[in-house]
Amino acid sequence: MTPYKPNTGARQEFGQPLPVFSLPSLNGRDQRTLRDYLTRKMGAVMVFWSAMCAHCRRYDEYFNSFAGLHSQLGFAAIASRCGEIPSQMQSAAKQRRLVFPVLLDQSGEVARQWHAQQTPRSYLIASEGQLVYRGAIDNFKLPSDEGYVAFLESAIRSYLAGQPIARVETASFGCAIETTYYHLPRQL
Amino acid sequence: MNVLNTVVALSSKLAQAGLVMTETVLSAAQGTLEQAIGMEADPGKLPPISGPRDLDHATSELANRTLRIIHFSPRDWAAIPAVLKDWLRAARFSFDFVDWKNPQSLALPLIAPLSLATLGTQSGLRGLATLDAIGLPRYLEFIKFCVQIFAEFPVYVGLEYEAVIERQQTWLAAHPNDAATRTELGRTLVKVGRFEEAREELEKAAQNSDVRSTAMHEAGLTYYSSSAFSEAARAGCAALEANPENEPARHWLWLASERLGGYPAQVPAEFRMKPKGGWQKPTVHYEEISAACGLDKTSGARGIAVFDYNNDGFLDVVVVAAHAGITLYRNNGDGTFTDVSVESGLYRSTNGFGVSAGDYNNDGFVDLCVCRMGFYGGDCELWRNNGDGTFTDVSQESGVSSWAPSFSVSWVDYDCDGLLDLFVATNIGGLFDRKTPNRLFHNNGDGTFTNVAQDVGITSRWPTIGHSWGDYDNDGYPDLFLSNAIGPPELYRNNGDGTFTNVTDLANLNHPNMAFGAQWCDIDDDGWLDVIQYSWSIHENVVYSMRTGETPPYGNPTRIYRNNRDGTFTEIGREIGIKECWGSMSGNAADLNNDGHLDIALGNGGALMDRVEPVVLLENDGRKFRNVTFAAGLPPVGKSHGLNCADLFNDGRLSILVGAGGNYPGDLMTSAVFCPVARPGNYLSVHLTGTASNRSALGARLKLVAGGKEQHRVVNGGSNFGCLPPDQHFGMANLLHAELLEVWWPSGLKQRFADLSANQKVWITEGQSQWKVAKPTRDEILGQD
Repeated sequence: MTPYKPNTGARQEFGQPLPVFSLPSLNGRDQRTLRDYLTRKMGAVMVFWSAMCAHCRRYDEYFNSFAGLHSQLGFAAIASRCGEIPSQMQSAAKQRRLVFPVLLDQSGEVARQWHAQQTPRSYLIASEGQLVYRGAIDNFKLPSDEGYVAFLESAIRSYLAGQPIARVETASFGCAIETTYYHLPRQL
Repeated sequence: MNVLNTVVALSSKLAQAGLVMTETVLSAAQGTLEQAIGMEADPGKLPPISGPRDLDHATSELANRTLRIIHFSPRDWAAIPAVLKDWLRAARFSFDFVDWKNPQSLALPLIAPLSLATLGTQSGLRGLATLDAIGLPRYLEFIKFCVQIFAEFPVYVGLEYEAVIERQQTWLAAHPNDAATRTELGRTLVKVGRFEEAREELEKAAQNSDVRSTAMHEAGLTYYSSSAFSEAARAGCAALEANPENEPARHWLWLASERLGGYPAQVPAEFRMKPKGGWQKPTVHYEEISAACGLDKTSGARGIAVFDYNNDGFLDVVVVAAHAGITLYRNNGDGTFTDVSVESGLYRSTNGFGVSAGDYNNDGFVDLCVCRMGFYGGDCELWRNNGDGTFTDVSQESGVSSWAPSFSVSWVDYDCDGLLDLFVATNIGGLFDRKTPNRLFHNNGDGTFTNVAQDVGITSRWPTIGHSWGDYDNDGYPDLFLSNAIGPPELYRNNGDGTFTNVTDLANLNHPNMAFGAQWCDIDDDGWLDVIQYSWSIHENVVYSMRTGETPPYGNPTRIYRNNRDGTFTEIGREIGIKECWGSMSGNAADLNNDGHLDIALGNGGALMDRVEPVVLLENDGRKFRNVTFAAGLPPVGKSHGLNCADLFNDGRLSILVGAGGNYPGDLMTSAVFCPVARPGNYLSVHLTGTASNRSALGARLKLVAGGKEQHRVVNGGSNFGCLPPDQHFGMANLLHAELLEVWWPSGLKQRFADLSANQKVWITEGQSQWKVAKPTRDEILGQD
């Protein structure tokens, strides 16, 4: 087994371990590390996520069903968006019946270490923490659309099958994790 | 009607003159009073994190918040108490900066009316200029559109849409029969991409005949967005049955039917349309290759810059996006691109609109400038290329960081000192706002910049979207054309001594328009730069043009101002075949079919969700432009702010790059790259490197003589929202040799090169007498012949 060496430098390279983290969960009961999601799994998917982000909302159902879809993979959403508070997330989780685990990265430190700047931005990680895929979940079309491309699912399928991943990176779209606009006075 | 329109136009001119005079007097009075009591104005450089910091910003803030409160409130007496409460809160917030213990504040009741009045005169002027450009029949419709986008923009940027939805839902729980509010809720849900919920609300609202047409049209969008094209067609028919004049609904019915392979049988003949233009025989056929080459960025894309960031001789691509970060794509030289945003560090730049590439420190590595959030506001960012594949944000230390609503930015060496300066075109940050002054950052040569716009005479009262630098009078100094969203374009002549003179009237350019980008180019190859102003049209006018191939009354197709070589210009667009209205938000003139004449590609769309239009391709045969869009294989791809044309694979085929995507989170699209299936003719590509001039050679002029015919190009440091490639592309049809290439460098040096073979890229370094066929090394550039 390859020793787990977190990538503490500024660069992020495919095949190299991502920085580890230890973050509180939204339910406030425990502290979770990246290792927790990799233990006894073939890997994990981590998604930078925001309760306020309209783009993330599109994937509520997908995230809710992720554990059932891919029992071999750990999954967690990391809430890093600047200014978002746990009560907003709890309220969204209740209203939208979200059951996937949410980790709180309120300082945005993990997002910075992982070079994430949008929600949602997904990372497929191998069992020893190595980066396998990063980017968008799909191309913003609906699964019923002719031109729908499920980037993350495609990467997962190849990874789990031990096949090379055709596309290891796509440009993320979505809401900025940190931007001046969130610091400006509210309009309503 | 014609008489009425003439009367309206004349009255508008008179009223505008009166408003300008009134504004001058009121501003002077306000300035005098403020000076007398020592009240300082906020220069507006920093983001308003704590709200307004002076009276003028406070009055703007309150006016815009009032507009927003009205826009988001139900039209019902029962809503009035809540509206008043909201308004009082807005007033308290807007004037929170006032220190009521300071005796200065006693003068506020005296100065506040003056501030409100100057705000009113500026807004009134814009309103009247809009009337001139759009005409009376569509005026109210356009104003409603403006109210909508200006009221909503900050709410969507600041992620407050959940609060809006909650408000609308709460109101509807108590007033379930309020169909107007239900329609608005449906529209809000469409804008955030919650299509299924939107559909339910809109179908329910459509049971009320007052809103049925609007609601069903919007419902059609949701069906279309979910690939339910039959349902979309049904909704389109319902919208048109309720209001046969709902032209946007007719457009969407056509779009949905196209996806079904033709109109379903049940669509009545009177609801159908067939685009009249776009079917002329093309000389180039295109295929869409974005996914195949790795440039398929999904986002609310804005500007595209094409440049060589790593000096490997291949053109790389940057796409900025309102709903994402920058993506830098490295050209692998094998027909594919790799996303290197993270590696380069550029991913940290988000919510961009305009982007421009230029080597401001002449170190041989091209740097980037990004401006942000058009009709709202944002920091201008300067990213220095470190030469090792990474970029560093030097906005603060360079002095270019400043808060402004801005759509476009460009590099230019306006004083020809060999150092690139930076121009940031600015706009208004709300419907009721004072124009933010445009910015011209002079390069001090030590990595810092100083804003000199006001000192050198570049002032404008109109909200500027696009601009372009070009030497229209051939005196060796670049002049500035401002393309204003509202109002006439403006031309600032560079006096050659570091100052500028507004010569708009003298140049005969004082014609109101609604426009986005602009571009200097020599459309008739006579050696004098003409200017294209890419006009934006409202949806109804676009549908009119699609149905008839003509311009509607008061329509404003893209304009081509021909240089009369005497300091004046004549608009010749319609004369040479540009007669259709599109929502052109970007465009580019390039010889796309390599026949030796500049063609034009238009990137079209609009802020609202239902503006999905094709990239329009106008082929120039040397006499007229012909619309070959659909016949050439260009489908309706959606909104394009950042259309660009570039020879991505160094093989003489100019691809059309479309940075697609809209204003709202639910309006994301995937960028497209249309590449010619085969090279349509011979070509020559020229890359210039300055030595005495700025390293990027921005502003250099080129004349190619091939087969006895001249072609002219100018190296441009920014056009539309993005930045054209540095390589200058000449089409040579069936010729295999060019007799002569002349280069006129910004330093003043003129060089001539004879007998160049076609179908290659040549590299020319300023002062060196031989061109090269491979990218010169740093030593070769710096060395002597």
